[in-house]
Amino acid sequence: MPNDGWVSGWMTGGDAAGVLAAAGIGLRAPHVQEVITTRPPVGWLEVHAENYLGGGPALRGLDQIRRDYPISLHGVGLSLGSAEDLDARHLLRLAALVERIEPVLASEHLSWSVTGGVYLNHLLPLPYTEESLEIVCRHVDQAQVALGRQILVENPSSYLRFAHSPIPEPEFLIELARRTGCGLLCDVNNIYVSAHNLGFDAVAYVDALPPEFVREIHVAGHARNDADGLTILIDDHGSRVSSEVWKLYAHAVAHLGPVATLVEWDTDIPVLNVLLAEACVADGLLYRARPRTPHGAPA
Amino acid sequence: MAPLRELQAAFRDALLGGPTAAAAAPHILGDGLTPEARLEIYRHHVFTTLTAALQATYPVVCRLVHEQFFRYAADQYLRAHPPAGPCLFEYGSSFPAFLADFESCRHLRYLPDVARLEWALNSATYAEEFAPLDPMVLSQLPGDDLPGLPLRLDPSLSLLSSPWPIDQIWEVNQPNADSEAVVDLASGGVYLEVRRIGDDAVFRALDPAPYAFRRVLSQGACLADAAGVAFETDSAFDLSQALRDLFAEQLLVHHGVAARGQEEG
Repeated sequence: MPNDGWVSGWMTGGDAAGVLAAAGIGLRAPHVQEVITTRPPVGWLEVHAENYLGGGPALRGLDQIRRDYPISLHGVGLSLGSAEDLDARHLLRLAALVERIEPVLASEHLSWSVTGGVYLNHLLPLPYTEESLEIVCRHVDQAQVALGRQILVENPSSYLRFAHSPIPEPEFLIELARRTGCGLLCDVNNIYVSAHNLGFDAVAYVDALPPEFVREIHVAGHARNDADGLTILIDDHGSRVSSEVWKLYAHAVAHLGPVATLVEWDTDIPVLNVLLAEACVADGLLYRARPRTPHGAPA
Repeated sequence: MAPLRELQAAFRDALLGGPTAAAAAPHILGDGLTPEARLEIYRHHVFTTLTAALQATYPVVCRLVHEQFFRYAADQYLRAHPPAGPCLFEYGSSFPAFLADFESCRHLRYLPDVARLEWALNSATYAEEFAPLDPMVLSQLPGDDLPGLPLRLDPSLSLLSSPWPIDQIWEVNQPNADSEAVVDLASGGVYLEVRRIGDDAVFRALDPAPYAFRRVLSQGACLADAAGVAFETDSAFDLSQALRDLFAEQLLVHHGVAARGQEEG
């Protein structure tokens, strides 16, 4: 039983499934002051860890906000899929931030950004091979030990397939969770975008994910770009969640249960109320996905 | 299939340019496009993100050279100096030096110094916070120890000088500046102190002797050495006033004592 001693061994930073069976929003710089002053009614907030590894007003703002909201730390720079070792200094800084902020969730991506010490500041694709699986497992183990807690690993948005990539992505993620005790962050928009770009069945992908591994869901908007006559969907987090992605999300929570859901918006960031309205949509769908009592009311 | 390490090196070269750039495409399926067109989607994102990061750190440089030229310079810079860490606010420390050697803007001789000022402001914004040193700490030392004591200055502090009026150039290129304002480039140079006060990164001009004193101290020298350089700069340098100013301005901090959130006091 590969799970034994691992899943139960990692602190998850609180009852993520219970406390956070609500929608949150990605907190971005233009909204920080407004959130501090107005304390909008939203279940929780997620921030990009790399924006808070310095000192100054950014970190001070987060110190303040964490007193009012559960915080999720979402890393974008650990590069779990790099063939080379994790950046030890970066891991130490992340560990210090985790200790300071005490996040309810901490997550990273199934991707790589670093090679030869050069950071490409993007979530680059991995071929899904035994070699990659061993590398990512080793790095997730190392990160969970350094941070002293479970991390969640997010499925990427993809724009290409490797010629040799024999393990299907959901299978790769499930095996990663089994071997390391990490949880999964199911980005529904990424599944939708990748399914379109690479030609796989988004619903079958969602159905392949075991509910017991998925502790967080992301939704976001995407853009449609033309590339030499072919439509490519770009995961730009620059618009409202599309109706197709909401449909896939409704299917996902029906299958996975009411999982903590985050609305992300990173380019052309709108006023805070637009994000809060998107979070309300997610809350409505989450409510419908709650387990039912014998009389049909949500438990 | 190449080992992952080789594939990732080839992928990097395909994005940034490099000796193994052509080695990535054979491992990628076109699926209706060329493998190169698919790599281009990733390359575009990387360049857009890093150019935006440089623009955020160097808005005045961007305004001085116009956005299109800035994008060209950023493109050249990030190929030659890609990030060595994951935090975008830490990217671009060598951009001022790059601009100084960049043939296409060499006629803008003040530009690298304006860039240095913007980097100092960026560093001040994100510098770690340390508790200010209590003057009582020094009074508890035996008097003989004071001259040889290395003092630690606020890590948000930078001291930079320029033969150009870069403070005025910066001011008139702020979004809310008077659009009619002109800077006389012949008006002379400046000695600037940049630091964070509260939430804001700010700068001001110093006289040459206090500037020299603080600059030498900031390099880790002891009080006696810093005072020596200040006296060489200006024989009328007032050491006791300069010391009082360091405390009054909370420029001295405790060694290794980082300030925590307010709740920890």
